[in-house]
Amino acid sequence: MDNKNVNRRDFLKLAAIGVAAAAGTKAIKPAEASSEGPKGEHQWAMVMDQSKCTGCGYCTLACRAHNDVPPDISWNEVSEVGQLDGHIVYIARPCMHCEKAPCVEVCPVKASYYRDDGIVMMDYDRCIGCRYCQVACPYDARSFNWKAFEEPNPVVPEWGEPEVERRPRGVPEKCSFCYQTIDRGLSLGLTPGVDRDATPACCNVCPTGARIFGDLNDPNSNVSQVLQKHAHFRLRENLGTGPRVYYLPADPEEMEA
Amino acid sequence: MFKNLRAKLGKPASVKVTPWMLWLGFLGLLLLSALVTGILVFWQGLWITNLTDLVPWGLWITIDLSSIALSAGAFSLCAGVYLIGLKRYQPIARTATFVGLIGYTMAMLALVLDIGRPDRFWHAVVYWNMHSLMWEVTMCVVLYLTVLVFEAMPVFAGFEWFRARWPKIAGKMEHLHYYAPILAILGLGLSSLHQSSLGAMYGVIKARPFWFKPEMSVLFMFSALVGGIALTLFASMLASRLTPKAKVNDALIERVAGFLAWLLIGYFYFRAWDTFAQTYTYDPGRTEGLHLVTSGVLSFNFWIGEMLLGILIPMVLLLYNKTRQHRFWRMMALFLVAAGVVAYRWDTNLVGSLVVVSYLPGAAISYTSYRPSLVEWLTGFGVIAYGLLAFSLGVKYLRVVDHTLVSQEHETVDVKAGEVVTV
Repeated sequence: MDNKNVNRRDFLKLAAIGVAAAAGTKAIKPAEASSEGPKGEHQWAMVMDQSKCTGCGYCTLACRAHNDVPPDISWNEVSEVGQLDGHIVYIARPCMHCEKAPCVEVCPVKASYYRDDGIVMMDYDRCIGCRYCQVACPYDARSFNWKAFEEPNPVVPEWGEPEVERRPRGVPEKCSFCYQTIDRGLSLGLTPGVDRDATPACCNVCPTGARIFGDLNDPNSNVSQVLQKHAHFRLRENLGTGPRVYYLPADPEEMEA
Repeated sequence: MFKNLRAKLGKPASVKVTPWMLWLGFLGLLLLSALVTGILVFWQGLWITNLTDLVPWGLWITIDLSSIALSAGAFSLCAGVYLIGLKRYQPIARTATFVGLIGYTMAMLALVLDIGRPDRFWHAVVYWNMHSLMWEVTMCVVLYLTVLVFEAMPVFAGFEWFRARWPKIAGKMEHLHYYAPILAILGLGLSSLHQSSLGAMYGVIKARPFWFKPEMSVLFMFSALVGGIALTLFASMLASRLTPKAKVNDALIERVAGFLAWLLIGYFYFRAWDTFAQTYTYDPGRTEGLHLVTSGVLSFNFWIGEMLLGILIPMVLLLYNKTRQHRFWRMMALFLVAAGVVAYRWDTNLVGSLVVVSYLPGAAISYTSYRPSLVEWLTGFGVIAYGLLAFSLGVKYLRVVDHTLVSQEHETVDVKAGEVVTV
């Protein structure tokens, strides 16, 4: 096994801050495409390299601009989770687009649903605002619009231009893997994760390349390759939700000072 | 002529302020303030409440759950009377049906306040997600409310003014009484489904460890049975003390109260084991939730409200012959049982949200807090005031609590086609 990828010493350290709790068991297992649930041609996934993430938060800002998210809501929350050899380790949390998504299961009106490509979507015109999905989500990925967002978005145009309609008051909202960008890119013959114009805004804006996007169904895609070579973990894996967001645990040797 | 008018206006007719008018005035005030704050909620949105992304369900959902639970007397007593054949309890079932109808409409009112898009409330009936327990609950509640309306038709037919004005319609409405057994079967099925599913709604949420357990549905069902019967009996007794319009057969109530005591033992058994079983081994999130309930912010509610006052004291009062036969102590016990069920709903709903289990690896479990805002209280009281008003009017004009009606209701009259039925 490649020593660079799975370093036992580092894993023990990671365990100290709890990150490896999930990683340990899954470290050398290849990424599985969905076994149940949606079975489309593509299965989108995101990989975040904790060694590269500097916690700058650009992803959150670009996301806010491209999806017209109000300032008090983050579809992509960046949090500090601990330290490793003097380096701060971060976790960015978009929607996990779970294979077995609790929000989709509990929604009384099917306002949350799976797309064929695995994206967990919200139909904001159908939602009644009961907030059961919010109660059910293990990742706090959903934020409710308690108040109408009517002001101009402070991150526009500096961080990008809105590509989707603003959500009304009274519905929860969440990350959509920038489905609008993916769909438009595919229709232009581009490849999401490779071509910028087909890739989610958070991945494009990341200054260190910590976020990788691609198709799990394609063995040659960036994400499939990375997940095959590197140890990785997912958040709250024990719940059986099958997140489509993977993390490569921080390796101090790869981290910048 | 002017003189006459002036005389009329100048000398105010000596209106005697009756307790009834004071009561109506009091309820009117509550309703008015709820109307104002309710409009404020629809106009401003839910940000004026104290609900947050961490505690998205609060006081309103408690009122919603409680009023549905306390309506459970309707299906259980109707099943007892029309399916098991305990005919002599029919007058109590009649009261329970009316209480149930009020309870379910109260729940609807609270829900319309609570959902973010009240304009889309009908989506729940049109767009089906059969995986969702909330969908199942919504469908059952809508269907059961329809059943309750039919079950309560004979009660509404008793309204004197209506009967005098539209005797034919009143006769038809009264006739629905003959379908009571079929309605009771429907009611039993729909209620058993949604009373327990309301618990399961919490029980399936893996993200909130305190809720995630199969016994949630059992506990919700059991507590609803206990609380629903208790409220119906309490309301009947209270009404009979306050107005001559309500006539109760005390022996009948006492017998049901005795039965309730045994149900309480069953409820206590399940509730106690539910708590004890969770004290073993540490389970992240669940153990913290248990601490909140047994020694944290909800501990007074749990030990005093739910266990001591809600179960143990009324259990003793209703099992011991002397206190059960004593009207005051029986009423007190019945009230405590109903209040204990409300406390159970409040604690259960809150404890799952107050313990925050982070998605971040290795993060410590934290707590959040929730206190309903004034807007939530005022609108909530308004929903309760509506229930009290509806019941008061029912007692006064529809003889909702009248145990002397028993023989009349059960007489069969041979009627020719087209003949107007007058009883």
